[in-house]
Amino acid sequence: MRANFNNRDPVYIQVIRQFKEKIAAGMLEPGQEIPSRRELANQLKINPNTAQRAYKEMEEQKLIFTERNNPSRITKDEAVLRDVREELIAEAVNSFVTAVRPINVPLNEVIGMIEKKYKEEA
Amino acid sequence: MNYLKLVNFEVNRFIKIYIVLLGITMVSQIAGVIVKANQYVGDVNQAIYEELTPKAEFLEMYGQISMGMLTRSMWFTGPIALCIAALLFYLFLIWYRDWFGKNTFIYRLLMLPTARLNLFWSKITTIFLMVLGLVAVQLLLLPLENLFLRMIVSKDFRTELSIIQIIEQSGYMSVFIPTQLLEFFINYGIGFMVVVVLFTAILFERSFRFKGMFLGIVYGVSCTLLFLSPILITELIGVGANYFYPNELFLIELALGLIIVAASIYVSHFLIKRKITV
Amino acid sequence: MIEVRDIKKKFGRKKVLNGVSFTANKGEITCLIGINGAGKTTILNAIMALTPISGGEILINGEKLHKETYERVAFIPDAITMLPQMTIAEAMEFMKDFYKKWNQKRADELLSFFRLKPEERISSLSKGNTAKMNLLLGLALDVEFLLMDEPFSGIDIFSREQIAEVFTSHLIEGRGVIITTHEINDIEHLIDKVVLLDDGIVIKDFHTEELRAQEGKSVVDVMREVYRQ
Repeated sequence: MRANFNNRDPVYIQVIRQFKEKIAAGMLEPGQEIPSRRELANQLKINPNTAQRAYKEMEEQKLIFTERNNPSRITKDEAVLRDVREELIAEAVNSFVTAVRPINVPLNEVIGMIEKKYKEEA
Repeated sequence: MNYLKLVNFEVNRFIKIYIVLLGITMVSQIAGVIVKANQYVGDVNQAIYEELTPKAEFLEMYGQISMGMLTRSMWFTGPIALCIAALLFYLFLIWYRDWFGKNTFIYRLLMLPTARLNLFWSKITTIFLMVLGLVAVQLLLLPLENLFLRMIVSKDFRTELSIIQIIEQSGYMSVFIPTQLLEFFINYGIGFMVVVVLFTAILFERSFRFKGMFLGIVYGVSCTLLFLSPILITELIGVGANYFYPNELFLIELALGLIIVAASIYVSHFLIKRKITV
Repeated sequence: MIEVRDIKKKFGRKKVLNGVSFTANKGEITCLIGINGAGKTTILNAIMALTPISGGEILINGEKLHKETYERVAFIPDAITMLPQMTIAEAMEFMKDFYKKWNQKRADELLSFFRLKPEERISSLSKGNTAKMNLLLGLALDVEFLLMDEPFSGIDIFSREQIAEVFTSHLIEGRGVIITTHEINDIEHLIDKVVLLDDGIVIKDFHTEELRAQEGKSVVDVMREVYRQ
């Protein structure tokens, strides 16, 4: 995991976002062990306290869980996992719609273009 | 103990130059004895066997050779002057080299978890060990040199001198090797006082830089005047040199010396703890 | 906690510090930022009592500095502070001799982490390796606070990366760190707190994550606002 963060959003939020994307994409599987806070800080070259805060937040959101002294793991809770996926999709669609709406394109035309683009990329 | 570790460290920093100084002194003095003695023997041979001068007449003209005479030659005074000059120079260098150059060791020294006055003590101890070391070597050298002289020059042509006599005849050696214990303490006590005052002046300079140099000089001059005041006063008011009893003068000077040393240590402690700057 | 309270310092007639106050907490990396001549180094020197201040006070865990403080706070200056003729091993030996808090295990670990050769003489070290040796001598002490003066300046990029790694590693875990820099880019994500200095005063003092959360600005944005005026 190595990423470029932007300098104007809280880094811990960007870290959580990365985790969510990986969970949604299936790159992080339910129950999979994740790096310790310090390892994460080291990999991402971020402040350990920031990594700590991201983990704390993710635990509160039930994205990860920690059993006693074991390493933290990705949640196995289907509902949470589904929510993450839906949240990301909804977010992406929202921003797309916000961007496209001012151009006043008919929905059909947009859907057609999306289909075409989607297949090209894949 | 940190003080002893620091002394050990300071001594090690100077040891190479010091050994060179000792080497120069030993080689020069021994060589001096050999060269001078052989020259003398040469003169004797030429006068007595070639020019057929009677022995008594030769001795009357040239005199016997003696260690006392040799100590006044350049072979002896040269290296001793060099050692004195080097140590005088080192009195300053022992402080300033921690600040100057690419490596600012003073950071390390000031950040040691020990009373900072230990730096002051370790440096002064180092200087004293060096001085006493040189004196000790000189004391070992004299009998050895005497032996060489004895081996080269026959009995009739040399004056047999004891170590004490050699020291007395040299004139200058009795300053660092006094023949009386009290004198030893007086001479080295004054030496100690001078070094303590000088170190205080250096610390003034290191604390306040340019202004400090001025303060340091003022401090040094004041201490000198204070120490010499009993003598100066008697001279100034014209009461003559014997105004005080000798013992009285000694006690006054002793008291003044102790005051100056105590004040200097107090001031140094304050400066090195609160005012010094890297 | 290191508390710097209203400290003042003059060099001749020039006021270098004109009432600087800030705090640095344990477990956080506090970064003093200022363009050159802003008095950053003077502040670190003052904390370590390496230069006198003309006003204000500095408290370390509520106490004024005394000789044992040097077992609690280590300063890594931007200078070579060992004798050039010493080897790295000898420099380490020197530290071990004088400090109760010297941690030989950590020192050895740092030696291999920085890939330094103990037998190498200090006079023959490159700039990057000199900086690493300085860091080693400070980090190997079990101190609560570490002060580092410009740890990234004037060294090659690989050394910089290696030194940056220190900040995310267990080597500073739980300790309080104060570093100075005039160049924030490399470390913007590594630090907790910024103290912006200019003309001998603190212009702004903030936690980086709070700045990003509340104002949506980067540290550089704030620096631009401050120094462009």
